[in-house]
Amino acid sequence: MSVNHTSSKQMIKPQARNRIRPKDKYTLFLMALPFLALAFVFSYLPLYGWIYAFYDYRPGIPLSKSEFMGFDWFTSMVSNEVQRQEVMRVLRNTFAISTLNILTSVLPVVFAVFLAELRSAKFKKLVQTLTTLPNFISWVLVYSFAFMLFSVNNGFINHFLMDLGWISEPLNVLASDDHTWLSMTLWSVWKGLGWGAIMYIAAIMSIDQEIYEAARVDGAGRFRLMWHVTIPGIMPTFFVLLLLSIGNFINNGMEQFYVFQNAMNMHNIEVLDLYVYNIGMTNSNFGFATAVSLLKSLVSLFLLFVANSMSKVIRGESIF
Amino acid sequence: MKKRLGSSALLILICAIMIFTAACSSSNNGGNTNGSGSEADSGNGAGGEREEITIDVFSMLANYAGEQPGWFAKLVKDKFNIKLNIIASNLAGGQQKIATMMASGDMGDLVVFGSNGKDYQDAIKAGLLLDWTKDDLLNKHGQGLLENAPEAIEANKKQFGGGTAVYGIGFDVGTGEGPSEGATMTYGPNLRWDLYQKLGSPEIKTLNDYLPVLKQMKELEPKSESGRPTYGISLWSDWDGNYMTLAKVVAQFYGYNEGDGLNPAGLILTHQNKDEWQGVLDEDGHYLEGLKFYYDANQMGLLDPDSLTQKFSDVSSKFQDGQILFSHFPWVDNVYNTPERTAQGKGLALVPFSEEKITSYGQSPYGGNRVWAIGAKAKDPARIMEFVNWLYTPEGVMESNYGPKGLAWDIDENGKPFVTEFGWKALPANAEPVPAEYGGGTFKDGTNQINNTTLKLTNIHPETGEPYDYNIWNSTLTHNPDPVTKSWREAMGVMTAKEYFVKNEMIEVSKPFFTTETPATPSAQMQQMTTGIGKIIKEYSWKMIYAKNEAEYDQLKEEMISKAKGLGYDEVVQYEVELAEKTVFPNR
Amino acid sequence: MPIKEKFTLFHFVNYAVFAIITLICVFPFYYLFINTISNNDLSSRGLVMFYPKDIHWTNYTDVFRIPGLGQAALVSAGRTVLGTILTVAASAFLGYLFTKQMWGRSFWYRFLIITMYFNAGLIPWYLTMLQLGLTNNFWAYILPAIVQPFFIILVKTFVESTPLALQESAQIDGAGYFTIFAKIIFPLITPILATIAIFSAVTQWNSFTDTLFLITDQNLFTLQFILYRYMNEATSIAQLMKQSSGAMMDLSNMATPTSIQTTVSMVVVLPILLVYPFFQRFFVKGIMIGAVKG
Repeated sequence: MSVNHTSSKQMIKPQARNRIRPKDKYTLFLMALPFLALAFVFSYLPLYGWIYAFYDYRPGIPLSKSEFMGFDWFTSMVSNEVQRQEVMRVLRNTFAISTLNILTSVLPVVFAVFLAELRSAKFKKLVQTLTTLPNFISWVLVYSFAFMLFSVNNGFINHFLMDLGWISEPLNVLASDDHTWLSMTLWSVWKGLGWGAIMYIAAIMSIDQEIYEAARVDGAGRFRLMWHVTIPGIMPTFFVLLLLSIGNFINNGMEQFYVFQNAMNMHNIEVLDLYVYNIGMTNSNFGFATAVSLLKSLVSLFLLFVANSMSKVIRGESIF
Repeated sequence: MKKRLGSSALLILICAIMIFTAACSSSNNGGNTNGSGSEADSGNGAGGEREEITIDVFSMLANYAGEQPGWFAKLVKDKFNIKLNIIASNLAGGQQKIATMMASGDMGDLVVFGSNGKDYQDAIKAGLLLDWTKDDLLNKHGQGLLENAPEAIEANKKQFGGGTAVYGIGFDVGTGEGPSEGATMTYGPNLRWDLYQKLGSPEIKTLNDYLPVLKQMKELEPKSESGRPTYGISLWSDWDGNYMTLAKVVAQFYGYNEGDGLNPAGLILTHQNKDEWQGVLDEDGHYLEGLKFYYDANQMGLLDPDSLTQKFSDVSSKFQDGQILFSHFPWVDNVYNTPERTAQGKGLALVPFSEEKITSYGQSPYGGNRVWAIGAKAKDPARIMEFVNWLYTPEGVMESNYGPKGLAWDIDENGKPFVTEFGWKALPANAEPVPAEYGGGTFKDGTNQINNTTLKLTNIHPETGEPYDYNIWNSTLTHNPDPVTKSWREAMGVMTAKEYFVKNEMIEVSKPFFTTETPATPSAQMQQMTTGIGKIIKEYSWKMIYAKNEAEYDQLKEEMISKAKGLGYDEVVQYEVELAEKTVFPNR
Repeated sequence: MPIKEKFTLFHFVNYAVFAIITLICVFPFYYLFINTISNNDLSSRGLVMFYPKDIHWTNYTDVFRIPGLGQAALVSAGRTVLGTILTVAASAFLGYLFTKQMWGRSFWYRFLIITMYFNAGLIPWYLTMLQLGLTNNFWAYILPAIVQPFFIILVKTFVESTPLALQESAQIDGAGYFTIFAKIIFPLITPILATIAIFSAVTQWNSFTDTLFLITDQNLFTLQFILYRYMNEATSIAQLMKQSSGAMMDLSNMATPTSIQTTVSMVVVLPILLVYPFFQRFFVKGIMIGAVKG
């Protein structure tokens, strides 16, 4: 076996797979059919609900008796000057935090690559297991933990820094708007680092050891091995995930921001998902919520296709 | 090829079977329940032993999900052979859970609405609720309701049933006049009584007079029991709605209340019994007064710097540790006023200011806005009706609140109620083990988890001549008061907080009013506008409290007002005022 | 693994950095744990920070007395095991199929992928599940989880990076797609399948939204749902405060003590931690096969 078996170039030879009996393609399709049917039932069937975006829908009352709204829900977000400013602010936050998230998505890669360099298998396993712990703690608990750390009154970071004499006044980190984007990103890195690395660890594990041997015989040092063998081995996975996360650019989720939001940081923490929740869900305004989710779906799909075509142009391959 | 086709066929088959079994098992469920329902019906008719049924209680107020445990379960089982399966929307996605229940067309058997607003009215419109006059259900099985809460039934009929149908009944149905609270009021303010006494009980005339007193108190006790700093005032933000809840509480010290008592509360406060209102952002309104009060407290170093980021539970811990010297609500004091502390004379107790006109909720024979209703697809409406009926009888009120007679309470030889030894340990909801014959578990777990009331607890029990509320039984008031209570009673010259406010005419009680108007359901756009404005108000309110100086405070205030107006504040206020003037003011 | 090297500065730094990261990740967990075994009064006052004080286990015994906990654990375990097996099998199989020239491959592939990016909203989803009879039904936990586009992509990417020669030679030998899949592909992609298994197991174990909306029968409650119930109590009380104009009750008595809430969350996380090392074995196995296959 030689290097190019596991290198990323391998996967761009679809023609090689074309040796196939003509009838087989229908057989293959039939084998996939039950699963496609499941996807249709659970993902496509409910889409009829998008029609609610055009009504003042109230659960239980049939659409025929609901008020038709046209595109009112879509335009309501930008109906006046103050509204428009709000939406611009929210989009700015969304873009900032998504960009930071995409930038930090290389951290799990780095984590996995360096983890592979640990020599003690026991220690490696231990690190691998324990660093996934934060992933299992819900954001609600994360916040109560953060409060324990950073509160002015009992927070031990403040106590600690004041005991050291580094600060004279306690800091109120949670009620501050300094570096909100950055601190939100740090929290999510902390929570997702070990977990996100699992996939890359799996990818590294499946790299052919002989490639390392061969490269080592050629006199490659540690860092060259990392750069020329390990990294290319996990690139396909990384790029797939990157493309997918570009599709999710406007979906930050809301749980994290919901638990950390307060009057002081509201200006910078309110991402689109949180904004919609704050303004729509507390009233159970399903028409509005559907309108937003419809818009978001379209934007996401658009972004995904753009990213995919760009990847085709730049890297010569795409995920679909 | 054959083999491959066979395998994919197998896969399809597996999927089909799974879906089939799924469908089957659910339809089986339906079949079973229907079956038992009809059997129970016939059993009922024959008057024999009735079959056990489990009813789904969908409660928007419950804080527990699953089967009702403990002593209340045993009571209901013994009396009605009914098991209660409680579905709590608040624990399962809140408004979204309510929406899915409504969309499904089946809201369960017994339904408890948190308000008589949009959800309730939509449920009626969508035909999800049972009309109690159908099949003469109410007359046959609801005599207690007709006897104990006739006006409430009538009011519901006029407001929601077009004058003929009855789709439910409001909670807290009262009789008589005057405040409906028990021993304590809903609001305070309460101070650390021991420290206040040590300072020589300085006179507190206005709200702002609390601040210098708190400062002195803080100097007197700068550290809590565990060595933490003490604070005059500590706030929390997780109860905020369209504005900062704890600033609104200030308005409640002045006889104002949120909303108008009928329509959903938004951005106005109305007086409890005068036809007056103020917008939350009114320059001389009580909401801004509240913000200024907290701002001043912060300037004097009295405000807990963690107020913005903490939750109510954190504040409760601080009370427990003795870090906080001022409480807005008397019911948060319990965690500090433990027997050990009160024995040392330490405790929080009411210290009103002389200008105070506390907001009080009057007795209303028409019932409050939380509604008991029965689902249109209820399994056995007659038996559910009987159960609701029982809850509205004196016996039902006593037992559903305080447990079966003889456990936590009993009646003495003079026919007067008293709290038993067990009761002192268990009431109101302590984790005291309950003997197996009463249902086992702890008293707390066994409490009625539906979490809605029926008759007002301050009503007089016709047989004992005393209120239902055990806190104001004669036997309770004279039961071995702790040193703090004793000292407070001596100083104030009254037995309870309510008595003090009434005696000194420092109270504004709402009058019951009868209206045939249904509570308004603002359009979705109006609601969305209100929420958007509320977000701005909340954000700026907190910023103002923590402003560095007057100039920043004023600047933030200006910004808040101009942004809120930009989002349609005036329009919302005008809408709400018109509603109040049309539907509420003329009727009281 | 490599021939013995010296323990260099690189190793030292590497070990140190990982040790620190691990500590940062473990500490919150440790903190929660010591609070569950410390005197509840001290811990609710925030006095337990680095080491437990007045150790006791009553919180744990209390939690194990929560009615329905055993049943919930069973349901959680059931959905996790069954759900994971089916999801992994389906993802592996579909991921493999999509590397083959099936009829309309790229169309169907996109058909699946884009489902990740749209969302019909809660009510249509709920009504669909209701129509399918998937309310108060154990299969509601399993069926919607079987087809996971994300996992399918992972498998496809992975299969594409495995040596094609093996498949081809097998095909020449007359092996069918199932045989090739079972005999050749499956062993080759164990590491990614282990990853998927972990992901899917954790998703199944942690999921509670389906229970929230689809299940009212307490025999089908899951552990996560019970945890959610406790964690959500404070929010629920806050919600009640917002709803009720006045008429406040003695709320301080209604809340479950924080100690119990924290203990429940410990109890819910522990099983995952116990099972996780088991999955890690498959990671190592992947190397072995990788080494053998040449």
